[in-house]
Amino acid sequence: MSTTDFSRIQAAVGNLAACTTPSESRMDLRADADHLLRAVTVFRGLGWGYLSAITGLDAPGGAGTEGAPAGADGHIGILYHFCQGPAVVTFRVEVPRDHATVPSISGVVPSAALFERELSEMLGIEVRGLPAGKRQFLSDDWPPGVYPLRKDFVPESAVAVAHSAPVIGSEEAPGTFIVPIGPQHPALKEPGHFEFSVDGEIITGASVRLGYVHRGIEKGAEDRSWVQALYLVERICGICSHIHATAYTLGVEALAALTVPPRAQAIRTIICELERIHSHLLWLGVAAHEAGFDTLFMFSWRDRETVMDLLESVTGNRVNYSVNLLGGVKCDIDAAAVDAIRRGVDYLEERSRHYLKIVTTDESFLRRTRGVGAISHEMSVRYGTVGPTARASGVTTDLRQAAPYAAYGQFPVEPIVSQACDQEARFVVRVKELFECYRLVREILDRLPGGDLAIPAPRKVPEGEAISRVEAPRGELFYYLRSTGGVKPDRVKVRTPSLCNWAAVVNVVVGQKLADIPVILAGIDPCFSCNDRSVTLRRSGRAGGSRAGGAAETWSWEDLRAYGIRYYGGSH
Amino acid sequence: MADQKLPSAWKEAIDRVALWSRVNSPWLVHFNSGSCNGCDIEILATLAPRWDLERFGVKLWGSPRHADVLVCTGPVTRLARERLVRVYEQMPSPKFVVAIGSCGITGGAFHGCYNIVGDIGDVIPVDVYVPGCPPRPQAIIDGVVQLLTKLRPPRARRARAAGGGG
Repeated sequence: MSTTDFSRIQAAVGNLAACTTPSESRMDLRADADHLLRAVTVFRGLGWGYLSAITGLDAPGGAGTEGAPAGADGHIGILYHFCQGPAVVTFRVEVPRDHATVPSISGVVPSAALFERELSEMLGIEVRGLPAGKRQFLSDDWPPGVYPLRKDFVPESAVAVAHSAPVIGSEEAPGTFIVPIGPQHPALKEPGHFEFSVDGEIITGASVRLGYVHRGIEKGAEDRSWVQALYLVERICGICSHIHATAYTLGVEALAALTVPPRAQAIRTIICELERIHSHLLWLGVAAHEAGFDTLFMFSWRDRETVMDLLESVTGNRVNYSVNLLGGVKCDIDAAAVDAIRRGVDYLEERSRHYLKIVTTDESFLRRTRGVGAISHEMSVRYGTVGPTARASGVTTDLRQAAPYAAYGQFPVEPIVSQACDQEARFVVRVKELFECYRLVREILDRLPGGDLAIPAPRKVPEGEAISRVEAPRGELFYYLRSTGGVKPDRVKVRTPSLCNWAAVVNVVVGQKLADIPVILAGIDPCFSCNDRSVTLRRSGRAGGSRAGGAAETWSWEDLRAYGIRYYGGSH
Repeated sequence: MADQKLPSAWKEAIDRVALWSRVNSPWLVHFNSGSCNGCDIEILATLAPRWDLERFGVKLWGSPRHADVLVCTGPVTRLARERLVRVYEQMPSPKFVVAIGSCGITGGAFHGCYNIVGDIGDVIPVDVYVPGCPPRPQAIIDGVVQLLTKLRPPRARRARAAGGGG
């Protein structure tokens, strides 16, 4: 199927870009920066696929030419990955390092804006036509002109520069009331800063500033060996650690051409599904808590302990299981564990039936979810949402079925889709996905292949590049790996699912009630630790402001008390 | 209250009541300064029915202004540093800090990443460290209980160690 698609694409854009097919599921289109926008416009006209990620590649030796000698004045490669099913079409553009500029494709592909912002901050690429916006994930004191993902970056060069603290709502129209939320906020366990402008109770604008959890993992991976980087990427996110490690190992195994034993793939898949169960139950509780339904929160977290026990009994740890090795897995599932998993899954299935009944019939809960925060199918496609958020808006993509990896080829998955688009649909889709997880776990346990758990992996990974896409609990997770044949990765690019969902949610809250914000935010299951290794958006473009007089940000207890006395004293 | 010059017997009595209530019902505020989330969900799991940290009178509270104990997770990122100091400063004295997880002790897996300014002890004073990646709920409970034991007046602590109830 992809062959015919590829020839159709080649016929359409062949005169604008040079086509090559490095493997049967991949196609590279080399365009120069001037023709990129036209090529992408023509390509989008075909209606093929969606933009999955944009990778910036600082390769002083030349990004496109494998093995070219490294030189000081090389090029920066920019790779636009479009995906459909298992097929990946990559537009490759090279720009000179000292004059790195490309046109923005966000006019044609709105979801590209986020990825382009990342390019400009992390690699110093000027994206022409991208709306000006404030820095998103590097700190405010980060020096201008220092780009962490460039190869010649040294941490010592990131000397703090003087900056002025931004003033909340400084550029909004006078009279607009701004409600700032975060970064320390009782509803969200992770730091993110939001500003909602409101008219009475109705939201008229929203912006978000993330980056509080940005740690610099992509760069950090380049300083570590292939094995060490595995444990680093596992800690991108504590909730979906296994899926990050799986995406990474699958990519490295593809690069090194390792054939992983089927038993290892099956065990990986079981852990993936157990992780999805724990993640969805966790989300169900947190989302119910945001809606003020603490009973459901407590129940679902109590039941979640069942799957945590299973994960612990198999892997030895409750979180960050470290199951994967390059070339296999490190823990087995024996007969006793099989029995325990079956019993646990039976119990959870019964409980999930109860939860499905609650989220679809409880009258007071439905008033918080039905018709709230609807992301239409069209909007979902335009802003490139992924995972259960997209499937609740009628998008059928589930990579476990569309592009099977690990053992999903032998154990097919049925995507759960709803056309309702609202918050209730997001609850229903996730709870129904739980049943699919239970079925899948049982099926794999029934037909668990025998054999080895792992094969040895080489210390040095052969030169080349690999793309690895997996379905994380929150949606499609994208890894791009590049090796120059050494003991360390040359580039590890991670595009996490939460990042794709922000654009839609920041747009959908406009017109909603302020009180519904926590529910809508929780609806996409945002994961800051995931997306802060990357970038995000600001809906209303705002220039930096400065606080008059540079007054202290923190008031002491005595200051507050004195202020209170002054305030009330003055009003009498 | 402080400037009203209470007789010392009264002041002592009030201090004892304050300490009694602090030890028996400390309020926590949680801040993530760059964690991977693993410790945060374990803190939440510790408060959920299975582990039920609330039986020690502990309450997770949203505002630092009302909190006695700051529970921190993660290494400290450049952007979160200022905010961590600010949350700490906003808490009324006496205040205590519990750092959860290996990252809070040394930077953990993220040691050496460019956007990490250090561990939590580099930024604010820490009373109890709980190691682990992430620590199990039992370890988190133990950390909090250790802090509470430290706060307990010496006499009561001795009585408890000798097997007395409380």
